[in-house]
Amino acid sequence: MSKEDKTFNIMFAGVGGQGLMLLSAILGKAAVDSGFKVMTGEQHGLSQRQGSIYVHFRIGNPISPLIPYGKADMMIAMEASEALRYVEYLKEGGVVIMSNRIMPAVTETEQVALDKEKKTKYLTVEQIVEKLEQVTSNVVLLDSLDLAIQAGNVRTENSVLVGATVACSDFPIHAEEVRKAVLALVPPKTLDANSKAFDLGLEASTGCLQS
Amino acid sequence: MTVEDVKRTDKGPALMLTNEAVVRGALEADVKVVAFYPGSPTSEILDTFGEVLDHFKDYKMHIAANEKVALETVAGASMAGMRSFTSMKSVGMNVASDSMFSIGYTGLNAGCVCLIADDPYAHSSQSEQDGRYFGEAAYVPMLEPATAQEALDMTKWAFEVSEKYKTLVIIRTTTRVNHQRGMVDLGELKRSPFKKNRWSDVKGQYFTVGAVARALKAKLLEKTVAIKKDFEASDFNKVVPGSGNVGILTAGVCYLHVKESMQNLDINLPVFKLGTLFPLPEKKLSEFLKSLSTLIVVEELTPYLETRIEALAKTVNPELYIVGKRSGHFSEMLEYNIPIVEKVLAEVVDKKPSMDYDSVLKKAENLKEILPERPPIFCPGCPHRGTLWAFRQALQQLKIRDNIVFNNDIGCYSMAFLPPNEFSDSMLAMGASLGISAGMELALEDKIIAMVGDSTLYHAALPGIVNLIHHNSNVTLFVLDNAVTAMTGQQFNPNSPYDAGGQPARKINMEKMFEALGADKIVIMDPYETRDCIGPIKEAIESDGFSVIISRRECALYGDREKKKRGEKIIPSENVKDTCRSIFACVKEFYCPAITVDESDAKMIIQRDLCDGCLECRQVCPVDAPRHLEVKR
Repeated sequence: MSKEDKTFNIMFAGVGGQGLMLLSAILGKAAVDSGFKVMTGEQHGLSQRQGSIYVHFRIGNPISPLIPYGKADMMIAMEASEALRYVEYLKEGGVVIMSNRIMPAVTETEQVALDKEKKTKYLTVEQIVEKLEQVTSNVVLLDSLDLAIQAGNVRTENSVLVGATVACSDFPIHAEEVRKAVLALVPPKTLDANSKAFDLGLEASTGCLQS
Repeated sequence: MTVEDVKRTDKGPALMLTNEAVVRGALEADVKVVAFYPGSPTSEILDTFGEVLDHFKDYKMHIAANEKVALETVAGASMAGMRSFTSMKSVGMNVASDSMFSIGYTGLNAGCVCLIADDPYAHSSQSEQDGRYFGEAAYVPMLEPATAQEALDMTKWAFEVSEKYKTLVIIRTTTRVNHQRGMVDLGELKRSPFKKNRWSDVKGQYFTVGAVARALKAKLLEKTVAIKKDFEASDFNKVVPGSGNVGILTAGVCYLHVKESMQNLDINLPVFKLGTLFPLPEKKLSEFLKSLSTLIVVEELTPYLETRIEALAKTVNPELYIVGKRSGHFSEMLEYNIPIVEKVLAEVVDKKPSMDYDSVLKKAENLKEILPERPPIFCPGCPHRGTLWAFRQALQQLKIRDNIVFNNDIGCYSMAFLPPNEFSDSMLAMGASLGISAGMELALEDKIIAMVGDSTLYHAALPGIVNLIHHNSNVTLFVLDNAVTAMTGQQFNPNSPYDAGGQPARKINMEKMFEALGADKIVIMDPYETRDCIGPIKEAIESDGFSVIISRRECALYGDREKKKRGEKIIPSENVKDTCRSIFACVKEFYCPAITVDESDAKMIIQRDLCDGCLECRQVCPVDAPRHLEVKR
């Protein structure tokens, strides 16, 4: 992708408190440091945790802060059900990098808990992926929490997902620029764990995208 | 991160949130006094000014009790010869507008700029109010930027216009502009030291009534004509050339949707990009209208521009066909995006949209049928959850759930409207619960209960409280004292011993205040001792006169940050499954997002990384099953 012509659109989705804004800041820094223009449409809104949140993230030659429906080249979801919540933005054949973590809403928990016959079950990652696959076959499902634990710090899930993102061949920013941005923006004490998490995400995703 | 860019002294490119770019613009304009009351989508302006206050040390800042006080603070500073700035959300201007209209008449001295942010879609507001009418109604110039860059440039320009014409200048934005991050070319940052003036050196008269007001009005009309001339010449009002006799008029974020829609459709219509909403550059607009047979007006909310253009076209181009809201092409509802704009442009030029957006949406809707909703919810550890649970128990025990009216107010606690609480007979505007209660108390047999947070208490509830006590009203008021203005990002308020940037301030003593006002009963409780709250709530509700229940526990998000600063750990809780009897009080009566159900044994589990360790759930559990995890070390 040349730096002027095309725009690469990424839809970030997640749940309030997961660090979506940090993820957006990391890719923003990496893009700007690589000479790309960036524009985002962010949902800040109210400050409660556990709400559905998103960032429209656009690299290249963006004009509007909002990605049109069906034109996101990539979706990065820190929570699995939130990937499906914004599926209208995903391009046919686009790449989905998603965590397998589901944080059920309280209303869903209530339905599961109160069903005396125990027939009501939580929505599963498999059900979500099955729906996403009706838009694209490029779904990369990561056990981001497990990979973060492997990296030595449970709070490095962000870096796992960022690492997975750069494995995508269309992603316009060089992997090492992205790693630099990760290490510049995470707490200094966690540099090693974040670098490891980045590598683990990169490896895991490379495997998925080749298959 | 980007706060570093706000501080940079070199020029050059930066990736900035518009709200940060506005701060940068005001700092480049050497602003000396700023004051704010927080409100989405402008809160990051306050927060950023607060964060860099200690770095610059050359401007003064207040977090004001409300938007009216904030506007008066910056107007006072302007009268005293200092450049000043405030910002507020759309409805904030409703509060501030009483003074704003008078400021329009009296004018000001040093540059004074006020940003107001409308919220199409009501993402975080009680209405989709269109604030564009304020400029015209008060004869106050109003600008509208589209991007972070333009916001920075317009902020600086606004100070110049303000100072040249001794008038307040309003910058109007929408959520999508405030919360847009984009590339910005930083200008030169030259700050001067802060030094107080003497009134004799700067003084003027800012007084308006009767004959004085009439004289000021005449001058104001002349001033408006002069400003309009400047706006005619401004590059912020520009025609982006194109081909054909179908043109577009637009402003703000809609300009960006228009540009990208045209790129998608591979068309190039002439576009009038408007930067000044009042006064309108009517000459420039007339020239543009004359060259067209059809004009597409792209604006969110009301047809503010469209109706004014229609009036203008009546003289300069009566044959002009206007495509807008009145023609049925665009809606007055919601927020616009590329699909909405592209579809109308495609229809007018008789082309197909670059994508069948409707079928994409329809397919997505089908795919999402399995997806449970994620309604907004109190954070784990939120003290309001306990307060409201105890309130419900008290009503149940008193058997008066159907004999009360509950008037809610603006704050996180507005969510009492949602399950599992499902109260809220009214919720209108900051502090409105008190006035509404006064009227209902006159007209209803039922017990009247109102609820405010600490920030709302000092913002606009006080006159309503004084009014109720003065009239010997029988009303119970909950004050949810969580130490900060939680919903907008935990800013300080008169209930805090701090001001912006952590400056020391005096905390107002709430209970002493209520005592002095003559409240008949004041109870203070801790919502983390949830069960123990039921008794005091019952007592307050049953007592005669004006009773106050102060439910005191800091906001969990704020509390967690303070704990971290002190080096304290958050100890999450666990559900002891041997004790748990799957009663699910913690689920159906409590709605904590850290609580889920283990499908294998139908017992509750607490998500450790989400849990705040408040143990309110233990208070709610009939068998005390939840407890703190044992911490090693």
